[in-house]
Amino acid sequence: MSESDASKPEPTLVERWLQDQQQWQRTLFTYLDSMMKNDEFLMHMGNAMRGSLLAGKPYPTAPPPAAASADDAATADRLDKVLFALHQLQGQMQDVLMALDELRASATTKTIRLKPDSAKIKKPRASRATPRRRRTNKGRTRS
Amino acid sequence: MTDPGVERELEAMLARSEQTRARLDRLHDVLTAGGHYGTGATPATVVYQENKLRLLRLVDESGQPRTGPPVLFVPAPVSRYFIVDLLPDRSFAGHVASAGFDVFIIDFGTPGDEDRFADLEYYVEGLLRRSVRKVSAITGQASINIVGYCLGGTLSLLYTALYPSTVSRLVLLTTMIDGDTRGGIAWVAHQMGLAGESFEDPRLVPAVEIKSWFEMLAPGSNSLIGRVNDLWERLDEPVDRLRDVRTMATWVDDVVPAPGRLLAELYQQFGPGRNRLMAGTATVGARSIDCAAVTMPVLSVSAAKDLIAPADGVDAIRSLVPHAEVMRLPGGHVGIVAGRTALALWQRTVEFLMRNVT
Repeated sequence: MSESDASKPEPTLVERWLQDQQQWQRTLFTYLDSMMKNDEFLMHMGNAMRGSLLAGKPYPTAPPPAAASADDAATADRLDKVLFALHQLQGQMQDVLMALDELRASATTKTIRLKPDSAKIKKPRASRATPRRRRTNKGRTRS
Repeated sequence: MTDPGVERELEAMLARSEQTRARLDRLHDVLTAGGHYGTGATPATVVYQENKLRLLRLVDESGQPRTGPPVLFVPAPVSRYFIVDLLPDRSFAGHVASAGFDVFIIDFGTPGDEDRFADLEYYVEGLLRRSVRKVSAITGQASINIVGYCLGGTLSLLYTALYPSTVSRLVLLTTMIDGDTRGGIAWVAHQMGLAGESFEDPRLVPAVEIKSWFEMLAPGSNSLIGRVNDLWERLDEPVDRLRDVRTMATWVDDVVPAPGRLLAELYQQFGPGRNRLMAGTATVGARSIDCAAVTMPVLSVSAAKDLIAPADGVDAIRSLVPHAEVMRLPGGHVGIVAGRTALALWQRTVEFLMRNVT
């Protein structure tokens, strides 16, 4: 043991108790401070008191019993069926759009593939094709 | 002078007081820390949305997607998607992306009341099929890799049997095949004589009920006192470790409600006593499932200590898809995917996906 250590007397049990009590006060104030400043802290504390560290939402509990009448329930049921049918329609619409995109993509790929091949094989005719196209354009302009 | 016996007693009380206070201080630190929870850990962009579903594409640090072969992660629709992307240094999907793959993840979202009418056909022929189409359209690949986890694996297998030409490789993680195997939620429900959900008049099964089914498999875990004691003991661990625990708890305790019609159909088709996947009589809508169509490479992974999908029931894929590579890892249902030893699964999956990649 060094001389400086030896010069510091060991805190007595009573002193340690007092220090511990001061630490407890600090802990308590830290919790109170968080409760005041952090809106979610109480919810997280509630979750911890259920043994869960779940963050961002309350620990799942049983939903309150439905108080709606039979008529209300039937209406809600019909509305839910309509809403789900709309979701299904949305999906079918997406299918159509995706199919169109796929067709467009395959058409583009075919055009890209055709161009270099036709340039290779039908190069002499390419010059003849140009005036033909011009003629067609002229016709279109006239009409 | 204090009596030595009394002094010892007071010392012990002081030590207990200090320990209790230290635990409460750590709990406060964890509860107020930013941490990472509720979403995936890896940066991602939403490339497709339908109903509650979001199709996520992982991007690198500069916000750019990878250019490697596409991999689609299909988690279970009854839990949150971020189990495959839990923490920055503990992300299955992130690990696969780091290997160069262009990773997509399906987030099925939280079903609303109207989604109780969603059946197997809606999930397989609708949501999953369109997600695969979207991935194909984005990447320009006619066939993609699929990694299905738990019930997401079941959906992936059914989809693959229906559209085999769109899948280049299939990875099934803790995916129950043999419904007659002892253990698992459906088997326990069957043993308890529960009627199951109604197909004709379905309800949105509340999250708390789904959670109680999982807890039913691990007796004691659903008692309030047991849970609180467990958390209290854990508060001796370092704050960093507790943040990891919190991230995992946020997945485990954040169960979503489930469409009753889907659960009814799963139970009626694949539950104990029906077992239509094994019998070769499974259907999706009006279409029959023929697992002989699954000819691409398949990897199936089971967890030795899995209480939700017992390993024997998972490994039964051998009889349906004889060429499937079957692997059993030590650990539980969640642990092998996102636990501290999950690296073994991630590396094995990457190795499988990379094989014969041109």
